[in-house]
Amino acid sequence: MKLSTNIAIGATLLLCAILAQATIQVFACSPEWGSLVTELAGPRASTFVATTALQDVHRIQARPSLIARARTADLVVCTGADLEIGWMPLVRTQAGNARIQAGKPGFFEAASVVPRIEVPTSVDRALGDVHPQGNPHIQFGPRQIRLAAEELTRRLVRIDPAGETEYRTRLADFTRRWDAATEHWAKMGAPLKGVTVIQHHKNFSYLFDFLGMRQVASLEPKPGVEPTSAHLRELVENQKSDPVKLIIRASYQSPAPSEWLAQRINVPAIMLPATVGGSEGATDLFTLFDDSIRRMLDALKL
Amino acid sequence: MRHTLIAATVFAAACTCAGPATAQTAELDQIRKDIQELRSSYEARIRVLEDKLKAAESSVVKAQEASARAEASAAKAETTAAQSNAAVSQSEVPPTSQTAFNPALSLILNGTWGRYGNDPTTRMTGFAPSGGDVSPARGASLGESELFLTSSIDPYFRGSLLAAITSENTVEVEEAYAETLALGQGLTVKAGRFFSGLGYLNSVHAHAWDFVDPALVQRAFLGPNYGDDGVQLRWVAPLPVLLQFGAEIGRGREFPGVGDVNRNQNGAASRAFFVKLGGDIGTSGSYQIGASHLRQHTAPGGVAFLDYDDQSGVTNLFSGRQRISGVDMVYKWAPDGNPQYRNFKFAAEWYQRKYDGDLAFDTAGLAATDALAARQSGWYAQAVYQFVPYWRVGGRYDRLRHGTVALNSNAANLVAPAFDPQRYSLMLDWNPSEFSRVRLQYNRDLTRQDIATGATIADNQLFLQYVFSLGAHGAHQF
Repeated sequence: MKLSTNIAIGATLLLCAILAQATIQVFACSPEWGSLVTELAGPRASTFVATTALQDVHRIQARPSLIARARTADLVVCTGADLEIGWMPLVRTQAGNARIQAGKPGFFEAASVVPRIEVPTSVDRALGDVHPQGNPHIQFGPRQIRLAAEELTRRLVRIDPAGETEYRTRLADFTRRWDAATEHWAKMGAPLKGVTVIQHHKNFSYLFDFLGMRQVASLEPKPGVEPTSAHLRELVENQKSDPVKLIIRASYQSPAPSEWLAQRINVPAIMLPATVGGSEGATDLFTLFDDSIRRMLDALKL
Repeated sequence: MRHTLIAATVFAAACTCAGPATAQTAELDQIRKDIQELRSSYEARIRVLEDKLKAAESSVVKAQEASARAEASAAKAETTAAQSNAAVSQSEVPPTSQTAFNPALSLILNGTWGRYGNDPTTRMTGFAPSGGDVSPARGASLGESELFLTSSIDPYFRGSLLAAITSENTVEVEEAYAETLALGQGLTVKAGRFFSGLGYLNSVHAHAWDFVDPALVQRAFLGPNYGDDGVQLRWVAPLPVLLQFGAEIGRGREFPGVGDVNRNQNGAASRAFFVKLGGDIGTSGSYQIGASHLRQHTAPGGVAFLDYDDQSGVTNLFSGRQRISGVDMVYKWAPDGNPQYRNFKFAAEWYQRKYDGDLAFDTAGLAATDALAARQSGWYAQAVYQFVPYWRVGGRYDRLRHGTVALNSNAANLVAPAFDPQRYSLMLDWNPSEFSRVRLQYNRDLTRQDIATGATIADNQLFLQYVFSLGAHGAHQF
């Protein structure tokens, strides 16, 4: 309640501040990109964020409000790699907005300019909801964010050339802070190196990759398929041969499967913010990492 | 990988050379040579790729090392960025194959097992013409297999084809249209054959329905998806809520309620208009309400008119115009806007249909022609609730109103029964993924009247249905 009041007040203040100066309209598919746009464009952009950290971006519907917001957008910032394939194509064709069509500077899919991990060698729907272009949850890759920031700045400059100096200054400032933060996270997360984890869905693979953690399995038997009791029992069995230390779910996932498993194998199960706004601490991209790493350290008493 | 390829090639070669014995030696030599060539060319290509990969990896490592040394100046950081970008572009292999441009392809398979108390081919009473009221057949029957192809044509247009392969072994073009991408200003023009934007359910393809069968009013008046060959113009207002206006003109390929008509005339015979308003209610709810209007003239010479009580058994013709007006609403809810675990959907539509023209009764015999004015209406309301992942329950109520039918002197030949068809439906479906659905549905059908006694014929109907979606299945509308 207190959080939501704060968010409401904050959002209102932000909105007022933005409306006073806004020059370009940005449609961000998810909060991490909204946060990045705020970092890189500041008051030059007014940002609409289509989803929250309590929603599964795979499963959003092409709601009327999204079509309306896409209609007026100068720039759409999404993850890509098919993450938003269930709704974004329809939103874009319905909106009648030439600026956000494929190939235009106003349509930016961050995953298209960053290296992706977990690219499947074969694709078949029998393997579940696999992404042919690799794991799309790139918001937890510090390097990925940095690369996305650079390309996003290029887009901002193309769309709003008048703001070029400001965008360049902001990018330089952002990358300086981001590099420092990245180094800080590497140090902060050093005790997590080699820690074995199970995650609900592959939301945090980039973070584990960055910190040198080892994911042993997912609670989902196959990507996008809800955990089954047979699969969970199998994970309990596997604990003997390949023990894990931590079970992790994202803010939009049900706690039931991870808690069930945690009880059986006697390791902590925790929630990490799926993106900005997924926990009280994760208020922007920087605190998203701070909070996520802190939660893992706390759970393991490291 | 390399060995598998070579092994496969050898195996394929071995299979093909199991032919006549005479030419074997020469052929074998040739094959050995071919394989050798293949092997060396593959090895060369693989070496090139491996080198590329190494180069990419080393520059990634460089980029990572560089970014670790973060105390460096902003200028230095930019150099690093350039390096990482180089790594990205190096590791991306450009698509070499023409297939990269193939349209997205998806295929829908569906089938039903139907159980009816009464003959399902008997039409509902009091609604004529009602061409689209055919229910799934009794017993096991294959539904329409839908083939959907879509792709950008160029930066300006997008094209789509939706063909239905019917269980009678015919192919129907349900939709085939091109749509603009680059008009801007909220404008989109669609041209070709397409389902009209009228109402809510009309543009939804059968595989995406929440019940096995369409709503009665949809079936009787628009049956079951009204489409036309023509042009559609849509405009979205620049507002934070969705306000969309649409207009369509077309040849009037279908006369709603009758089905395909043979027109041989210039100009537009059909016009449709719609407006939709939609937005969010908090983060959990969203809504859309709409109003629509369709007007159409019959083809020259009129359209076949099945009579109201399905009793006369003679050929009648109707010449004049039909106007259909409706309102629709849909509301969706999910906790925090996350439909994964629980979600709810409510939809309702109301339509009114007016006929205004001349009815020729028994064109082959009596040929009694007089004015016909009819005003009939109908509505449905449905709710679907996903209570746990993969499982949904739904209920629907349908009702049609016989309204007023002025037959004038033809009242001596035809009867318009004062009967309001109704139907109750319950369904349970299981959706183990976005691509598959198995559904059980029960209908309490009260759509037919025993003309002799005036009693309602109650029918219990049971359906078991599957809907499977293969391939690149696109986004569904709200």
